[in-house]
Amino acid sequence: MPEENITVNAVRDSFRESLAGASTLQELDEIRVKFTGKKGSLTQLLRSLGKLPPEQRKSTGQEVNTLRDEIEHELDQAGKRIRDAENEKQEISQRIDVTLPAHGRTSGAFHPVLQTMHEIADIMQGLGYSVASGPEVEEDYYNFECLNVPPWHPARDMQDTFYFADGTLLRTHTSPVQIRSMLKYGAPLRIVCPGKVYRRDNDTTHSPMFNQMEGLLVDKNVPFSVMKGTMSEMLNAFFGKSLRYRFRASYFPFTEPSMELDIECVECSGHDEHCRVCHGTGWLEVVGMGMVHPNVIRAGKIDPDEYNGFAFGIGLDRMAMLKYGIGDLRLLFDGNVSYFMSGFGGAEKC
Amino acid sequence: MLISWELLKNFIDIEPLNLTPEELAERLTFSGSEVESITYTAGKMKGVVAAKINALEAHSKDAKYSIAHLDTGTGIHVCVTSAKNMKKGDNVFYAGEGAILPDGTELGTRDFHGVMSYGMMLSAEELGLHDVDDPSGLLILPNDARPGDKAESLYHVGDVILDVSITPNRGDLLSLLGMAREIKGLYPKSTLKTPEWLRPLKQDKEWSEEFGKISLPDKGCYAYRLGLATGAKISDSPLTAKIDLAHLGMRPINNAVDVTNYVMLMLGQPLHAFDLNTLPAREITVRAAHEGEHMMTLDGKDRALTERDMLITSGGEAIALAGVMGGEQTGINDDTNTIVIESASFSPVRVGHTSRRLGINSEAAFRFSRTVDPALSKSALMAATTLIRDWCGTVVDYKPLSAENDIHEPKPVTLTRKKLSVYLSWDNMNEAAKILDGFGISQVKDNGDSRVFMPPSSRPDITIEEDLIEEIGRFRGYNETEERLPGEMPKRADIGDSMRLSAFVRNTLIPRGYTEVLTYSFLPEDFPEKLRLNPDDIRAKPLTISNPISRDQMSMRTTLLPGLLEGLKVSIASGWREPVRIFEQGRVFIMDGDSHTEPEHVAGLIFNGVDTRSPSGNRNEDFYSIKADIESLITSRGYRVDFVSGHENFMHAGQTANIFADGVKLGYAGRLKPAIEQELDVSGVYVFEIDVTNLTEARKPAFTPASSFPASFRDISLLVADTKSNDDVMKDIRQCVKDSGSDITLESLRLFDIYSGKGIPDGFRSLAYSLSYRSHTKTLTVEEVESLHNGVRESLKAKGYVVR
Repeated sequence: MPEENITVNAVRDSFRESLAGASTLQELDEIRVKFTGKKGSLTQLLRSLGKLPPEQRKSTGQEVNTLRDEIEHELDQAGKRIRDAENEKQEISQRIDVTLPAHGRTSGAFHPVLQTMHEIADIMQGLGYSVASGPEVEEDYYNFECLNVPPWHPARDMQDTFYFADGTLLRTHTSPVQIRSMLKYGAPLRIVCPGKVYRRDNDTTHSPMFNQMEGLLVDKNVPFSVMKGTMSEMLNAFFGKSLRYRFRASYFPFTEPSMELDIECVECSGHDEHCRVCHGTGWLEVVGMGMVHPNVIRAGKIDPDEYNGFAFGIGLDRMAMLKYGIGDLRLLFDGNVSYFMSGFGGAEKC
Repeated sequence: MLISWELLKNFIDIEPLNLTPEELAERLTFSGSEVESITYTAGKMKGVVAAKINALEAHSKDAKYSIAHLDTGTGIHVCVTSAKNMKKGDNVFYAGEGAILPDGTELGTRDFHGVMSYGMMLSAEELGLHDVDDPSGLLILPNDARPGDKAESLYHVGDVILDVSITPNRGDLLSLLGMAREIKGLYPKSTLKTPEWLRPLKQDKEWSEEFGKISLPDKGCYAYRLGLATGAKISDSPLTAKIDLAHLGMRPINNAVDVTNYVMLMLGQPLHAFDLNTLPAREITVRAAHEGEHMMTLDGKDRALTERDMLITSGGEAIALAGVMGGEQTGINDDTNTIVIESASFSPVRVGHTSRRLGINSEAAFRFSRTVDPALSKSALMAATTLIRDWCGTVVDYKPLSAENDIHEPKPVTLTRKKLSVYLSWDNMNEAAKILDGFGISQVKDNGDSRVFMPPSSRPDITIEEDLIEEIGRFRGYNETEERLPGEMPKRADIGDSMRLSAFVRNTLIPRGYTEVLTYSFLPEDFPEKLRLNPDDIRAKPLTISNPISRDQMSMRTTLLPGLLEGLKVSIASGWREPVRIFEQGRVFIMDGDSHTEPEHVAGLIFNGVDTRSPSGNRNEDFYSIKADIESLITSRGYRVDFVSGHENFMHAGQTANIFADGVKLGYAGRLKPAIEQELDVSGVYVFEIDVTNLTEARKPAFTPASSFPASFRDISLLVADTKSNDDVMKDIRQCVKDSGSDITLESLRLFDIYSGKGIPDGFRSLAYSLSYRSHTKTLTVEEVESLHNGVRESLKAKGYVVR
């Protein structure tokens, strides 16, 4: 028995030695012939089995078969390895410059104002506000009269208006949507109305068209403190940080009491007296708001003795300008792709 | 509204408050009257003093100049001037060597032909007092000026002016008196004062002049009063008054007119002074204008009137547009001797209507439309006559003539603890009553948790409980109130169809390389011509703004295309040479009979760029690139999309398609008309525009599993006339499979080759398709597939196709 074992082991050792020295497919073929060919050492080993006594034949036969499997497996493996190595040489010869420009289109860019509109609408949805909309060409009644601004009222001077020949007008705020929503849904109500509004104003800080989002909450016993909490939720979520803010008493015909909200300057937090955003005041006026005037609630066919609420209005353009650091309002509306792409790369910067 | 710190002291004792103008400004700003600026009128002035001209001589070498010897309180100074209006003994302002003028100019010495001049004597202009006096002469001071007194302490030269933005509800704040009352409310420890000229005046004499009746048939005139002053000498007003007027933004004119302006600024009551002898008749009637009546106003304009306008007439002739503007002929002139002062009270609604309609925003109209306290018409008239006496030397103790209609009396307003505590989360009723009292709103009834308050006649804006709450809120400030969210969980909120659709569009197109833009809703008047729209095209009849800022922003857009073309133009002009891909989503405005609709459109534009060179060869986009974008937009919303050859006047005649979603036409796509491209100096612009309203509903996708039986693939190649579209051919192939009656399905049909040229007759092309047949119930045999496919070939031949 020991003799035969030594023979099997000797063939294995010899095979491994040969294989270790092989580096081409041709050498591999030669090894295959040398061991498994008709005259190969493995074949001879098989043939020698017959000479063994019957009681050893079985166990030795198994060992030889195992060795044959091993040899075939290792030859296959070695073959793959060598082929892969040869392929890789060829692949390296096909090397490309991965820094060349991409084929096809690369991504475009969002408009900061519309992005802002969607962001704030999402935030407000989380606070339970639905989005309502209404026409941009509006009736005087919805835009002014039922908002407590009759035709003679000096508050009309606050909003210089574009008119059409039939007396309709381009809405000067999205407040008409508040009235339309109260009439449509009644109370309690939580809505925001984003959209374009128009005023007859054109200079460096005013555009005849701009974007606004107003909000309205109507319910029973609504306190000012809830409006305050809502404003800080909204603004903190939008700017992604906790901001200091302050309220100033103000006047709007459709709210009573009315106030304006200033936030700490998002650019300098009040630390730069030459700040280009707040001009050194440290504060930015961003929201006008107040408790809805009972006449307005009444115009919405809701009983002001039972319900009250608050309303607010934000300039989306201004919010976008603050968040995205845009200096000139007029850049927003001329469709210049170079400006919008500049925020994301676009043309290669040098 | 400009507020003078010095004049404020006439109405309120602010000294004990130890208040700076800046502190007052902050308090006013937070309580609702935003202070926009604070101006120190003396500016950088330093070392300017009053001086007396002790001696005056002509310059021996140049007669243009005079040499003055000035007593400046600290010695005699020599000063050369080219001014002519002074004489020996006059008092002037003198800025000596080293003194600094309000604008920062520092004075030195100057040699005038051998005479050294030390500093200079000043004109009003050099003191920063525009309009106060002739800028070419010296400002001659009254006799009471003492040499050596600092200029900034004399005649209100050194004042502090606050520019306060007054909200439209607070007409009462358009005067020093009103501001003083407001400050009293904000600082309860302060005390109000009454200036000397506002004290009652004995006026009991009958008029020395004939005067008939004042009649007020128009109830919009609440009260009308006339005061008489005889023996007037029209000249300049006292220097301090002139400086006050100038600081408050009014040009001094003459003593009589200045009195009316001064009283208006101090008390808020607009007044009018006229020469009694220029009145057409000795009577006054205030009546509504007749429809179509005309009047020439003081500004020389002919005004067409309506029944809502109110006229002041005399002898049937209109002399003023009530509360808005005077007429041309009754003004004060240098020879006026007998002055009549008008003090009236008008309906804010009526004055507001007239001034808004005619676009006249005079000081009077501005105040009347914001409500002037009706109680003022009496006291202001008395104050004005007192000042006329003082400034013009007239006799004024005549009893004023008056007529009155119903004057609106203030009505009581109730404040309840319940509402106060709901609104402000604070409910100290006693404290609240104290705050209101400070603003002159007095408690008239105390029922504990419900109290009744009477606003003063100067505060017609206080009519409901919320108004009282606002007074309390703005006094206390809003910054200390707690903050919280509504207690209960909100009902499910819906971001709404239009926001969802908008999010879908931008989430689809932006990753496909489009940049989102936002352009104006108004277009130039001539946009329909530029787009070559037929006159009867609905898009050629836009809504047109009656009062546009310019003709470039006049017509409401009926299509988004012009905005995108402008965006392309601006992009290229700004130096962008790469591909341009932009889209806009927004409303267009379509006339629909008497009314209009505002459908939501999406439009896109792609342009290969000014410089299309690329290391990877030509990768230009074309119709089929924009088609992919539209397909992506519509199919991923769950709709079947079809492109059918179409026509638009502004599009390429051979490369334009109409777009259909589930058979409904949404819009157009294709190449811009080359002539329009040329006008833009570009080539190869592809655009689309669709009405997305029909895509509002997002369809759910319906998934079908792949069949577990194998598919069989066959190709077919057809000779097709150029006039026949790929869609037509595919339709025919599908129809032929259907017509075969087989239960085998044509699972897919795909065009894989187009060929024309050698071997293909002119006007034809060869289209090759791959068909995939499959059964859901069994594995197909070769024979079954062959039999079906041959059948299809035969039926196509029968339809006239040449099968290759």
